[in-house]
Amino acid sequence: MTLSVSPRLATFPFPFRADSYRYSTNVEPARVPVETEAGSWGAGILHLDDDYAAELAERRRILAADPSRLQVLPHMRPAAWDALLTVLRELHAQHPGSMSLEQDGPTFVWRNSLLGVEQRFTEGADDSLPGGPLGFLGSQIQDDVVLLDQREGSLWADAGVVTFAADWSLGFDVGMRFLEVHGPVPRIHEEGIISRAERFLMRLQPGEECRRTNWSMSVDRRLDQSTEVYPEWGPDRRAIVDAGPAELARRLHLRVEVQHLIRLGASGAIMFLIRTYLVALDELASVPAWRERLGRVLAELPEDMADYKGLVRYRDAAAHWLLDT
Amino acid sequence: MGSAHTSVPRWPTSDPGLDRTGRSYAILSFGPDARPTAEGWHRQVVELGRPVWARHGGSADEVLAELAERVEAARVGWRLMLAGPQADVLAARAVATSGGLLDAEITLLVTDDRHRRVWCSHCDTTTLAEVATGDVTGCSGCGRSLLVHHHVSRRNAAYLGFMVDAETIDGEAV
Amino acid sequence: MTTLALVVGHSEEIAPGIRELSFSRTDGGVLPAHPAGSHVVVDCGEGRRNAYSLTNPGADPREYRIAVLHKSDGAGGSGHMHSLRVGDTVTVSRPRSAFAPVSTARRHLLVAGGIGITPMLAHARDAVRWGRDVDLIYVHRPGSEAFSDELAALLGDRLAETTDEDEFGRLLDKALTGQPIGTHLYVCGPGPLLDRVLADAAAAGWPPERLHLERFVPAALDPGREFVARLARSGRDVRVPSGRSLLDALHEAGVAVPNMCRQGVCGECKVPVLAGTPLHRDEFLADDERGAAVMCCVSRSKTETLEIDL
Repeated sequence: MTLSVSPRLATFPFPFRADSYRYSTNVEPARVPVETEAGSWGAGILHLDDDYAAELAERRRILAADPSRLQVLPHMRPAAWDALLTVLRELHAQHPGSMSLEQDGPTFVWRNSLLGVEQRFTEGADDSLPGGPLGFLGSQIQDDVVLLDQREGSLWADAGVVTFAADWSLGFDVGMRFLEVHGPVPRIHEEGIISRAERFLMRLQPGEECRRTNWSMSVDRRLDQSTEVYPEWGPDRRAIVDAGPAELARRLHLRVEVQHLIRLGASGAIMFLIRTYLVALDELASVPAWRERLGRVLAELPEDMADYKGLVRYRDAAAHWLLDT
Repeated sequence: MGSAHTSVPRWPTSDPGLDRTGRSYAILSFGPDARPTAEGWHRQVVELGRPVWARHGGSADEVLAELAERVEAARVGWRLMLAGPQADVLAARAVATSGGLLDAEITLLVTDDRHRRVWCSHCDTTTLAEVATGDVTGCSGCGRSLLVHHHVSRRNAAYLGFMVDAETIDGEAV
Repeated sequence: MTTLALVVGHSEEIAPGIRELSFSRTDGGVLPAHPAGSHVVVDCGEGRRNAYSLTNPGADPREYRIAVLHKSDGAGGSGHMHSLRVGDTVTVSRPRSAFAPVSTARRHLLVAGGIGITPMLAHARDAVRWGRDVDLIYVHRPGSEAFSDELAALLGDRLAETTDEDEFGRLLDKALTGQPIGTHLYVCGPGPLLDRVLADAAAAGWPPERLHLERFVPAALDPGREFVARLARSGRDVRVPSGRSLLDALHEAGVAVPNMCRQGVCGECKVPVLAGTPLHRDEFLADDERGAAVMCCVSRSKTETLEIDL
């Protein structure tokens, strides 16, 4: 690494591998580190960073204000327990110094010294955990979680804890087929991308893992861009248009999701982990290669994709700032 | 966009014909336009000599409650045939699937799609309105103007509605 | 496919001609978890590999359990499996799931014939563990009642067991006409039993979406016929033997083709076809692309020569 950058940039999953962007079935094996101009990311499934406690506090606040961000259709209870134990074991393996999961028959003790948590629970007893298995899982990792059930030749988004959605609503989408969830996304259906992705996921065998990235932009460091609170964050998309260059670069963020897809063993569900990263343009610009590449991607992006991603109002201004100032 | 991909229903608007593989049948229809088709189905089931339960119109809430009871008591081999405006068919289908019916056991005919149930994502109220997808309707809960998005929850039998003018400042055109 | 090197921890004849085997890690560690109804592919000697349903609970298993019916002539690898004893080593695939319970089912109706009971034991256990409604009809030869005691203890009066074909018919008839609408039916057993259950269920109005058959998926795709890949740009011919993929054959001939999933889904290894007829076995290509391209990781050729644009 030749650049001296902030820890946030050093682990930022910069998603562009070319100067233009189109949707593709961009799945790749999980746990393979990706070297970037500023560092690397992706060596593990779960990534805890300096924002760990702050983002979990934000999730608690959001769930308290709107409990519909946690959804578990009744048939997903086994999958929720499977997801919880899978993730806690993974955390234990990655952070043995600060986290542990001990089992004594059906009783477990989870310790997480980073959060000061010691929790005893009984597998299968939903009320032995605050928030139930999926709610508790959401209190230990920064990722949003969606659980996909497989039946009738489809995947179904039947459970989740999603507080950091990028312009969608778990409460509305829960219970939909995977293809229906993605119904409003332009281009991906005509190009067969989403049905190919579903077929790929349906063939994942127990324990298999893969990942992909997705991206959009947002005004300010706002993780919660659910449809429910669009009246709160929507106006910023308009306001940023009138901002001067310095304010634009400070407030406008590249928003990247690292999505892991893991076929759980015992339940057979697919656990979809969505970890959201935000970096402001002025911070991102300290890596010259990123500055130039993002500028070119934004300048080239077709209008329908820019519209779906909510970028139409400011993408020209952002591209101009990145490329010409 | 193919119908297999989108969440917006693209259901038959002409008689898809009777599914003859069932052992017993329920026929539910809404509105005058659906009646002839439903009666045709009824006759065909009787000719097949299979048991049939049929309802036409009436109060939507009562009909849906009765449907839920029928689904609860139904045995595998049962077929549900629904005809009527999209909003009614969506609602009845949601009752049926939540009771365990599969798409393969439901036959649908949509006679018109003038009305939509629109779920306000901001205040969690569902409003029945005469509105097309992509148009705007008022939320009966919070009063916001909602854009009716081309996104449908079959579970809740509703279109997604969200604030149409969140990104405009006073005086600007939407 | 990654395989596991395991040791036999248990080998016992549990019914005439039926041997139960368990496989564990040498260090006793946890094996990959799996849903009910999963199977593993076991090397049975002489290059044979057979799929066997796992009967053990799938959460954090420390052993995989299977039960093997001895074929009268010992063919198909069953003789080898019956000769395995505690301490022998075996090569076992990771578990694969192709017969999992439908989580939304209001009731699970299990129908097993003979050795077809093995996946149903796992299904019954899983159902009981999560409080799912389950019924099992188990038909087998007199004296060949593998797992009967265990199933009776698990299911009580939800188990209907018979050795009589007429009684089985009556049990099946009654079951097929009396299930609540959300019921899913799972059947595993000899071919004639599967055919009968499917026919009777269809006659009783069951849609195919409610009927689940145990079909052992092959460990790998069919090896296929040998063919020649003609590389148009260099004029070279590359022989693709049976059992070798086109991708691998090209690679061995020094022709690198980008690839990723090697399962025919990701689209990376697409190669244009100039002449000949591909035998498509992929999930990637749309129908209108199938004349002019081939996914070389899984697909082969119907014609003796396939000319490709490499």
